[in-house]
Amino acid sequence: MSENPELLPKEDVVLRVDDLQKAFGGLQATDHATFEVERGTITGLIGPNGAGKSTIFNLISGFYEPDGGTVTVGETDVTGMEPYQVAERGLIRTFQTPRKLEGMTVREAMLVGPRNQPGESFLSLFTSPGSVGEAESKNLADAQRILEEFEIDHLATQPATDISGGQMKLVELARAMLAEPEILLLDEPVAGVNPTLAKKLEEQIRRLNEQGTTFLLIEHDMEFVMNLADPVIVLDQGHVLTEGSPEEVRNDERVIEAYLGGGA
Amino acid sequence: MRLLDDPAGYWADLTTAEKGVLAVSLAFAAFLFVALLTGRLGASYFMFLVGLAGMYGLLSFGLNAQWGFTGLINFSVAAFFGVGAYGTALMTADSSPVAGGFSPVAGLATALVVALVLALLIGIPTLRLRADYLAIASLGLAEVVRLVVLNERQWTNGSAGLRGIPGFFDGWPVLGTFPEAMPGLRIEVIPGSPVLLETPFWQSALNVLLVVTFAAVAYLVLRRAHRSPWGRVLRTIRSDEDLARALGKNTYSFKMQSFVLGSLIMALAGVFYAHLNLYVGPGDLDPITTFYVWVAVILGGSGSNRGALFGGIVVVAIREGTRFMGDLPIAVDAAPLRLLLIGLLIVVVMRFRPQGILPPQRELIWPSAVEDERAPQRPESGVRERKDGDSDE
Ligand SMILES: Nc1ncnc2c1ncn2[C@@H]1O[C@H](COP(=O)(O)OP(=O)(O)OP(=O)(O)O)[C@@H](O)[C@H]1O
Ligand SMILES: [Mg+2]
Repeated sequence: MSENPELLPKEDVVLRVDDLQKAFGGLQATDHATFEVERGTITGLIGPNGAGKSTIFNLISGFYEPDGGTVTVGETDVTGMEPYQVAERGLIRTFQTPRKLEGMTVREAMLVGPRNQPGESFLSLFTSPGSVGEAESKNLADAQRILEEFEIDHLATQPATDISGGQMKLVELARAMLAEPEILLLDEPVAGVNPTLAKKLEEQIRRLNEQGTTFLLIEHDMEFVMNLADPVIVLDQGHVLTEGSPEEVRNDERVIEAYLGGGA
Repeated sequence: MRLLDDPAGYWADLTTAEKGVLAVSLAFAAFLFVALLTGRLGASYFMFLVGLAGMYGLLSFGLNAQWGFTGLINFSVAAFFGVGAYGTALMTADSSPVAGGFSPVAGLATALVVALVLALLIGIPTLRLRADYLAIASLGLAEVVRLVVLNERQWTNGSAGLRGIPGFFDGWPVLGTFPEAMPGLRIEVIPGSPVLLETPFWQSALNVLLVVTFAAVAYLVLRRAHRSPWGRVLRTIRSDEDLARALGKNTYSFKMQSFVLGSLIMALAGVFYAHLNLYVGPGDLDPITTFYVWVAVILGGSGSNRGALFGGIVVVAIREGTRFMGDLPIAVDAAPLRLLLIGLLIVVVMRFRPQGILPPQRELIWPSAVEDERAPQRPESGVRERKDGDSDE
């Protein structure tokens, strides 16, 4: 990859995207993209509208099948796996548009988060209801704790469809945490979120990161990204334009040009 | 039981819809009771109606487990019902060209296995795809099953159908000979009343026992499943399958489980029907059954087990009730009137209560976990119940 900056050797890589390609008809949405996410970082992924950021998320998480290239989570090559199999490897993602669960309260919607619940096996419901109940109690307590940490516990018994977009973003992050991810991919976590709430999200992400979760986040809010992320990867027309600290990226001519050029 | 300890409190806790349903049900029961006592409604016909209601309840439970829980669109309810009926009939009927003469328990097992195979056959290719594929494929399946039954005479007797199906309990130790062994069991309900409980009544009582057992088992299984993390994954799939996948749920497997479970329950209804009617024919695979069952589930409230049961009973009440329209001085034929009534009912419900009459439960969390949680402190805030006062199972 001639146009890539030389990738520094990284110690502990959680996610490796290698020469990933994806075309939609004649449009090369992902064009030989290569990057790595080091464990313990909050890595930013920025780029103009249509740069292919969400497409990369879909490729990584198994929602799209790449035309070429590989995705590695931890030690496992997850290319071509089903989304649930990628999630089982500890990679959880959120979506750009909030996903609302009809007919559920917020805490019910939260309880979908934990992975491999004993009560998700139909037979266990009848053969070992005790352990199902124990796990459910624990998950309910965990959900309550996270909702409190996120200061949205007052929403717990509200219908999940009746909360604001910003609150929904918080719930999504909180739910994703219940899945205990190694690495969490957030697609525009503060889009449409008011500054106060965005600040809250920022704090939560930083706190969770300090507790060991690695983040890869897409965001258009430059202040948010530059505050939080290091390193930052810049995507333009499906390929990695540059990668570096927020300082380096901010002052990079090519980045400024890509944004001014509208990505076209 | 709460109802017995504190009836006033129980009543006060009900939502408006629940109160309405309870009141209407009680009034309807009282009406039937009076009709029974005055002899206007024959006791064994009444039992037949109860059996029919149970059968529709089962079919609605089955569809609810597919559509109500998971959002799977199955238009072959009649086919799974028919497969259940033919499955047991082919094993047990005297006139069966295949096996015949086996015990109804073997018939039951066969019916379930055949329904399972059929569910897998249609589920495997379609459940990986988006919802519409199952809908289309199931429409086709219903017709294929009907045509196979009609045309493959060497296996199914074709249009002649299968006669000589034994009652479900025939050959059982006590239940098998229960009605006949007691010709003396002839009860006058009230001295002087024309109601007599004789052999036919006891025979149909046995059928009711069978369907009530089937329905109770299905209900208890579904209720537990619905409140479990398993059911929660299904509800997530219904609302947003991609979200479930992103959170590590193998949605294909969950959809398959839900589809198979529902199909087996439908087949159970078919098994009951075969041993109730003692005859099955290709007419029993008529797609109208699928229509009735969809009406029942949507009317009752998709996703709610109680709603499905209630919807099933309403459909039977309309189906059978319109038979007596002939007695009224109006020049309308019962059959079109029945469809008209049902159509009208569904339009009214969809207009004024699109979620159905008894939509699902307040909050579906494994009960012991909720109790654990309440134990320390935390009174239930129940915002959702307060909101419109009448959402729920
Ligand atoms: N499923 C799809 N089918 C066809 N084209 C697609 C599909 N998904 C994305 N694209 C196209 O690929 C390109 C990249 O889209 P993508 O959603 O990845 O951009 P993005 O960087 O996330 O943009 P934004 O910042 O606006 O969210 C766009 O031109 C888009 O139209
Ligand atoms: Mg995007």
